[in-house]
Amino acid sequence: MTNKLLREDIVKQVKDVFDSQLINPVEILFFGSKEDCEHCEDTRQLVEEVSAISDKLHMSNYDLQDHAELARQYHVSMVPGLVIAGKEADRIIDYGIRYAGIPSGYEFSSLIQALVLVSGRDSGLTVETRAALAELKKPVHLQVFVTPT
Amino acid sequence: MVEAMEFAELSDRHNVSGVPQTTINDGAGTVIGAYPEDALMQEIQTALRG
Repeated sequence: MTNKLLREDIVKQVKDVFDSQLINPVEILFFGSKEDCEHCEDTRQLVEEVSAISDKLHMSNYDLQDHAELARQYHVSMVPGLVIAGKEADRIIDYGIRYAGIPSGYEFSSLIQALVLVSGRDSGLTVETRAALAELKKPVHLQVFVTPT
Repeated sequence: MVEAMEFAELSDRHNVSGVPQTTINDGAGTVIGAYPEDALMQEIQTALRG
Protein backbone atom coordinates (compact mmCIF):
# COMPACT_ATOMS: atom_id res chain seq x y z
CA MET A 1 0.00 0.00 0.00
CA THR A 2 1.61 3.26 -1.08
CA ASN A 3 1.65 6.22 1.26
CA LYS A 4 -1.01 8.89 0.80
CA LEU A 5 0.20 11.91 -1.14
CA LEU A 6 -2.20 14.32 0.56
CA ARG A 7 -1.66 15.14 4.22
CA GLU A 8 -4.70 14.74 6.43
CA ASP A 9 -4.97 18.44 7.20
CA ILE A 10 -5.01 19.22 3.47
CA VAL A 11 -7.70 16.60 2.88
CA LYS A 12 -9.77 18.23 5.63
CA GLN A 13 -9.37 21.70 4.12
CA VAL A 14 -10.25 20.45 0.65
CA LYS A 15 -13.24 18.54 2.05
CA ASP A 16 -14.53 21.74 3.66
CA VAL A 17 -14.25 23.53 0.31
CA PHE A 18 -15.94 20.71 -1.57
CA ASP A 19 -18.74 20.25 0.96
CA SER A 20 -19.62 23.94 0.83
CA GLN A 21 -18.92 24.71 -2.84
CA LEU A 22 -19.38 21.67 -5.07
CA ILE A 23 -22.80 21.69 -6.71
CA ASN A 24 -23.01 19.44 -9.77
CA PRO A 25 -20.98 16.31 -10.49
CA VAL A 26 -17.56 16.59 -12.10
CA GLU A 27 -15.69 14.01 -14.15
CA ILE A 28 -11.91 13.97 -14.16
CA LEU A 29 -10.56 12.01 -17.10
CA PHE A 30 -6.98 11.05 -16.31
CA PHE A 31 -4.68 10.12 -19.18
CA GLY A 32 -1.38 8.43 -18.39
CA SER A 33 1.13 6.41 -20.27
CA LYS A 34 3.24 3.39 -19.43
CA GLU A 35 6.07 4.87 -21.43
CA ASP A 36 8.08 7.98 -20.73
CA CYS A 37 5.95 9.57 -18.04
CA GLU A 38 7.83 10.33 -14.86
CA HIS A 39 4.89 11.89 -13.03
CA CYS A 40 2.03 9.71 -14.25
CA GLU A 41 1.80 7.47 -11.20
CA ASP A 42 1.95 10.33 -8.71
CA THR A 43 -0.57 12.37 -10.67
CA ARG A 44 -2.95 9.44 -10.91
CA GLN A 45 -2.71 8.83 -7.19
CA LEU A 46 -3.12 12.53 -6.41
CA VAL A 47 -6.24 12.79 -8.55
CA GLU A 48 -7.64 9.59 -7.01
CA GLU A 49 -7.13 10.99 -3.52
CA VAL A 50 -8.80 14.28 -4.47
CA SER A 51 -11.76 12.53 -6.14
CA ALA A 52 -12.26 10.38 -3.07
CA ILE A 53 -12.90 13.48 -0.98
CA SER A 54 -16.33 14.10 -2.53
CA ASP A 55 -19.12 11.96 -4.01
CA LYS A 56 -19.62 14.65 -6.63
CA LEU A 57 -16.24 13.88 -8.16
CA HIS A 58 -15.55 10.90 -10.33
CA MET A 59 -12.26 9.94 -11.89
CA SER A 60 -11.79 7.75 -14.90
CA ASN A 61 -8.42 6.32 -15.76
CA TYR A 62 -7.15 6.12 -19.33
CA ASP A 63 -3.95 5.30 -21.14
CA LEU A 64 -2.73 7.44 -24.02
CA GLN A 65 -1.86 4.40 -26.11
CA ASP A 66 -4.63 1.99 -25.07
CA HIS A 67 -7.28 4.71 -25.37
CA ALA A 68 -5.81 6.61 -28.29
CA GLU A 69 -9.16 7.38 -29.88
CA LEU A 70 -10.55 8.87 -26.68
CA ALA A 71 -7.35 10.88 -26.22
CA ARG A 72 -7.77 12.23 -29.75
CA GLN A 73 -11.41 13.07 -29.07
CA TYR A 74 -10.38 15.13 -26.04
CA HIS A 75 -7.28 16.55 -27.76
CA VAL A 76 -5.00 15.06 -25.11
CA SER A 77 -1.47 14.34 -26.23
CA MET A 78 0.64 15.27 -23.21
CA VAL A 79 0.77 13.04 -20.16
CA PRO A 80 -0.05 13.10 -17.37
CA GLY A 81 -3.13 14.82 -18.76
CA LEU A 82 -6.38 15.77 -17.06
CA VAL A 83 -9.72 16.71 -18.56
CA ILE A 84 -11.93 18.48 -16.03
CA ALA A 85 -15.48 18.14 -17.28
CA GLY A 86 -19.08 18.32 -16.14
CA LYS A 87 -20.78 15.00 -15.56
CA GLU A 88 -24.48 14.67 -16.21
CA ALA A 89 -26.47 11.43 -16.05
CA ASP A 90 -26.17 10.79 -19.74
CA ARG A 91 -23.22 12.83 -20.93
CA ILE A 92 -19.94 14.63 -20.29
CA ILE A 93 -19.86 18.43 -20.70
CA ASP A 94 -16.46 19.44 -22.04
CA TYR A 95 -15.50 23.00 -21.07
CA GLY A 96 -12.11 22.70 -22.74
CA ILE A 97 -10.23 22.63 -19.45
CA ARG A 98 -7.01 20.60 -19.62
CA TYR A 99 -4.07 20.07 -17.28
CA ALA A 100 -0.75 18.80 -18.62
CA GLY A 101 1.68 17.77 -15.91
CA ILE A 102 1.35 17.11 -12.23
CA PRO A 103 -0.82 19.70 -10.43
CA SER A 104 1.40 20.09 -7.40
CA GLY A 105 2.49 23.04 -5.30
CA TYR A 106 0.54 26.17 -6.20
CA GLU A 107 -1.18 24.30 -9.01
CA PHE A 108 -2.91 22.04 -6.51
CA SER A 109 -5.18 24.86 -5.39
CA SER A 110 -5.77 25.80 -9.01
CA LEU A 111 -6.96 22.23 -9.59
CA ILE A 112 -9.34 22.47 -6.63
CA GLN A 113 -10.66 25.78 -8.01
CA ALA A 114 -11.14 24.25 -11.46
CA LEU A 115 -13.20 21.43 -9.94
CA VAL A 116 -15.39 23.94 -8.10
CA LEU A 117 -15.75 26.07 -11.25
CA VAL A 118 -16.87 23.15 -13.40
CA SER A 119 -19.15 21.95 -10.64
CA GLY A 120 -20.89 25.34 -10.71
CA ARG A 121 -21.34 25.01 -14.50
CA ASP A 122 -20.61 28.72 -14.88
CA SER A 123 -17.49 30.57 -15.93
CA GLY A 124 -18.00 33.39 -13.44
CA LEU A 125 -16.94 35.85 -16.13
CA THR A 126 -18.36 39.35 -16.51
CA VAL A 127 -21.18 40.16 -18.91
CA GLU A 128 -18.70 42.11 -21.05
CA THR A 129 -16.27 39.20 -21.32
CA ARG A 130 -19.08 36.79 -22.17
CA ALA A 131 -20.26 39.13 -24.93
CA ALA A 132 -16.72 39.45 -26.31
CA LEU A 133 -16.28 35.66 -26.24
CA ALA A 134 -19.59 35.15 -28.02
CA GLU A 135 -18.26 37.37 -30.85
CA LEU A 136 -15.15 35.26 -31.45
CA LYS A 137 -14.92 34.09 -35.03
CA LYS A 138 -12.00 31.68 -34.59
CA PRO A 139 -11.11 29.07 -31.99
CA VAL A 140 -8.83 30.20 -29.19
CA HIS A 141 -6.32 27.92 -27.52
CA LEU A 142 -4.94 29.25 -24.26
CA GLN A 143 -1.93 27.53 -22.75
CA VAL A 144 -0.90 28.70 -19.31
CA PHE A 145 2.65 27.67 -18.50
CA VAL A 146 3.29 27.26 -14.79
CA THR A 147 5.76 25.79 -12.34
CA PRO A 148 4.85 24.24 -8.99
CA THR A 149 6.75 26.80 -6.92
CA MET B 1 -2.32 24.51 -17.68
CA VAL B 2 1.03 23.20 -18.81
CA GLU B 3 3.66 22.35 -16.23
CA ALA B 4 6.73 23.94 -17.79
CA MET B 5 9.39 21.69 -16.31
CA GLU B 6 7.81 18.44 -17.48
CA PHE B 7 7.21 19.85 -20.94
CA ALA B 8 10.49 21.67 -21.38
CA GLU B 9 10.56 21.42 -25.16
CA LEU B 10 7.13 22.98 -25.54
CA SER B 11 8.05 25.67 -23.02
CA ASP B 12 11.26 26.47 -24.89
CA ARG B 13 9.36 26.65 -28.16
CA HIS B 14 7.21 29.34 -26.61
CA ASN B 15 10.17 31.07 -24.94
CA VAL B 16 8.74 30.59 -21.49
CA SER B 17 10.95 32.34 -18.96
CA GLY B 18 8.66 33.84 -16.34
CA VAL B 19 5.56 32.05 -15.17
CA PRO B 20 2.68 32.18 -15.42
CA GLN B 21 2.88 32.69 -19.14
CA THR B 22 -0.31 32.50 -21.17
CA THR B 23 0.27 31.66 -24.81
CA ILE B 24 -2.61 32.39 -27.18
CA ASN B 25 -3.07 30.23 -30.28
CA ASP B 26 0.41 28.77 -30.30
CA GLY B 27 2.20 32.11 -30.05
CA ALA B 28 -0.14 34.54 -31.82
CA GLY B 29 -0.17 36.32 -28.50
CA THR B 30 1.67 36.03 -25.20
CA VAL B 31 0.79 37.33 -21.78
CA ILE B 32 3.19 37.16 -18.86
CA GLY B 33 1.95 37.25 -15.31
CA ALA B 34 -1.56 37.29 -13.95
CA TYR B 35 -3.77 39.48 -16.12
CA PRO B 36 -7.16 40.86 -15.16
CA GLU B 37 -10.04 39.43 -17.12
CA ASP B 38 -10.70 42.37 -19.43
CA ALA B 39 -7.01 42.80 -20.26
CA LEU B 40 -6.70 39.11 -21.14
CA MET B 41 -9.79 39.37 -23.34
CA GLN B 42 -8.20 42.31 -25.18
CA GLU B 43 -5.01 40.34 -25.73
CA ILE B 44 -7.06 37.48 -27.16
CA GLN B 45 -8.84 39.82 -29.53
CA THR B 46 -5.51 41.36 -30.61
CA ALA B 47 -3.97 37.93 -31.15
CA LEU B 48 -6.88 36.86 -33.35
CA ARG B 49 -6.61 40.00 -35.47
CA GLY B 50 -2.88 39.53 -36.11
